Amino acid sequence: MPAPGAGMSGPGIPWYLGISGFLFGIGALGVLVRRNPLIVLLSLEIMLNGGNLALIAFSRHARNGAGQIFALSVMAVAAAEVCVGLGLVVAIHRRNLALDVDRLSELRG
Amino acid sequence: MIPGAWLCLAAPLAGALAITLAGTRISRRTAGWLSTLSVFVAFAGAVWSFFALRANESHETHLSTAWTWLQSGGFKAGLEIAVDPLSTMMMLIVSGVGGLIVLYSIGYMDGDDEERRYFAYMSFFVFSMLMLVQGGNLLLLLVGWGLVGLSSYLLIGFWHERPSAVAAAKKAFVMNAIGDATMALSFFVLIAHSNSLEFSTSFATAGHLSSTTVTLVALGLLGGAAAKSAQVPLHTWLPDAMEGPTPVSALIHAATMVTAGVYLIARTHPIFEQARTVQLVAAGMGTLTLLVAGLIALVQVDIKRVIAYSTMSQIGYMFLAVGIGTYANGMFHLMTHAFFKALLFLAAGVAIHALSDEQDIRRMRGLGTALPWTRWAFLAGALALVGTPPFAGFFSKDPIIAAALHAHWYGVILGVAALIGSFLTGLYTFRLYFIVFGRAKAVPGTPLRGEPGTSQAPVHLHDGHEGPKTMLVPVAVLAVLSIFGGWIQFAPFWTPLTRWLEPVARTLPIAEPTDTGEAIASILAVALGLAGIAVAWAVYGQARVAVPRLPSLQRALEHKLYFDEVYDAVFYRPAVALAVWLRRDIEEPVILAAGPDLGETAFDTGRGLRRLQNGLLRTYVFFLGSGLAVLAVVFLIVR
Repeated sequence: MPAPGAGMSGPGIPWYLGISGFLFGIGALGVLVRRNPLIVLLSLEIMLNGGNLALIAFSRHARNGAGQIFALSVMAVAAAEVCVGLGLVVAIHRRNLALDVDRLSELRG
Repeated sequence: MIPGAWLCLAAPLAGALAITLAGTRISRRTAGWLSTLSVFVAFAGAVWSFFALRANESHETHLSTAWTWLQSGGFKAGLEIAVDPLSTMMMLIVSGVGGLIVLYSIGYMDGDDEERRYFAYMSFFVFSMLMLVQGGNLLLLLVGWGLVGLSSYLLIGFWHERPSAVAAAKKAFVMNAIGDATMALSFFVLIAHSNSLEFSTSFATAGHLSSTTVTLVALGLLGGAAAKSAQVPLHTWLPDAMEGPTPVSALIHAATMVTAGVYLIARTHPIFEQARTVQLVAAGMGTLTLLVAGLIALVQVDIKRVIAYSTMSQIGYMFLAVGIGTYANGMFHLMTHAFFKALLFLAAGVAIHALSDEQDIRRMRGLGTALPWTRWAFLAGALALVGTPPFAGFFSKDPIIAAALHAHWYGVILGVAALIGSFLTGLYTFRLYFIVFGRAKAVPGTPLRGEPGTSQAPVHLHDGHEGPKTMLVPVAVLAVLSIFGGWIQFAPFWTPLTRWLEPVARTLPIAEPTDTGEAIASILAVALGLAGIAVAWAVYGQARVAVPRLPSLQRALEHKLYFDEVYDAVFYRPAVALAVWLRRDIEEPVILAAGPDLGETAFDTGRGLRRLQNGLLRTYVFFLGSGLAVLAVVFLIVR
């Protein structure tokens, strides 16, 4: 296995950042337009993974492991967040409420 | 000695946490035993450190730091505990007497709704007090100080469905907060001058400070001590604190809380010695308190309140002792007082328990026949309180009076007042004893309002005896301690306690009376105490001598010398009046008149803004995203 950064071949960092931004955009769009909370959660995950990709790319670029550790913590937090989110979805379903984020709007002024 | 001290500190905290975390998984009785066990483990730790310290050649202060707790600039405070003769003595008293009281609670609180919460609080209270006495620097002492205030608040208001209990808890907390604040202020002054709250550094610095500064520091400490120890004028919370369950009163009065003030002065005596005036003020404060409390106790009709006022009065003696500089005698009285005051409260608790929570002594008559053992235990406690030889109070109270009489003209005044206090002690204590445990007869002149004559409350004995064993064993142990506990020191013949405390708190030379002085003070104090008992017997016992009635004085005493009324008039009413005036004369004519539509405009704005909160997730995300985008653009342009 080559040392990190040594003889790095393949696409340069702009490509990675491009894909990362693309993923983030897809996710954000999904959060904005989809109404099913499951899909909203899924889109959130895509956004987080977009962020992760950027972190890892920079970590590789700067030859510094910190970014990878960061990405790992993001994954851990994302897992926890999905647990809570899915729990909420199950709770909503059990109370026979509509699985529609627009209908869940009691917290309005 | 250090592991024992850490064990002593950690055990009650562990007990409190275990009971809290276990919740309903353990039975109420288990919670009680767990709490008792944790406090007795603490006692074992205290005994361990005591013997280790005794075996050690130097009785200097040993510090042990767990970790650095706070560090800011040059200021540093560690989570550290001090083991020295003074703290070891307090550890033994707090955990030993505290353990007996918690054990007693198992029987007393049996069947109460929230026993688990009660026992968790009890363990926590003992932990707080141990934190206070073991804290190795002034900051940790203040931590313990605050925790004690918190736990007392929780326990005084334990029966939270009673409005009076909640009010009493709030009152105790607020009065104590005044003391906490003055103490914190004096610590700030110390930090400003020495950049440290270590005992040794602070005490060394006190010698170099200007006399004004050191007086301020000592005054702040005295304020804290007076509030915690219920000394005039910060005493009004203590009688109200009787709203808590009886074992809580015993714990507050005997093992924890009110003795903290005496400990504080003994601990920080190098500061007080630099500000001798403040120390003499402490002595005067104690003397005033012991007279005031003794007088008020004469007319109270609630059994627990009488004992509460007697605590105030006895703490007054301790303040007198540490104020004139005989620290060892103050601490000795603290110890014997813990024994007999816990005994009195617990014995009173047996009576209250047997009468189904009746506390009015006018309805308790002739309990002596129904509760024979309790009667003898109470008698032992009462005799110890009055200072009759050979009971514990005799050995500890008389040297204080002797030392006071020896110390200049000021001390003589205080000593004479303390002698009068002895007489009052005999009178009010045995008034209580003869009314509650004497022969069942109507007392002349005190019919209950609204009831023709006095009816004797029915005594419900549990299964024909005086209570469960968990209640009787602590009472018996404390009775033995109240009888023999004072014998460890008999000035001037043997004084092991004074020598034990010497490395930490050396008695000032001015407060070392001659042997003749000790003898004279003892004889006078005992004679006056016995005279008080005799008068009580004549008036409330068999003889029933008619008392000359002084209606105005009696009314004043029944109103506790109007302290509450004065505070109400000086602090509460002006505050309310100010608020009412601000509303009527400032808010309504000025602010509301400034713009007639002031309120309407605010409402309209709110109504408009409300539309933004439409509850749709997507809108919020959209605003969040666009906000971020705008910020990003702004930062790019500005750069």
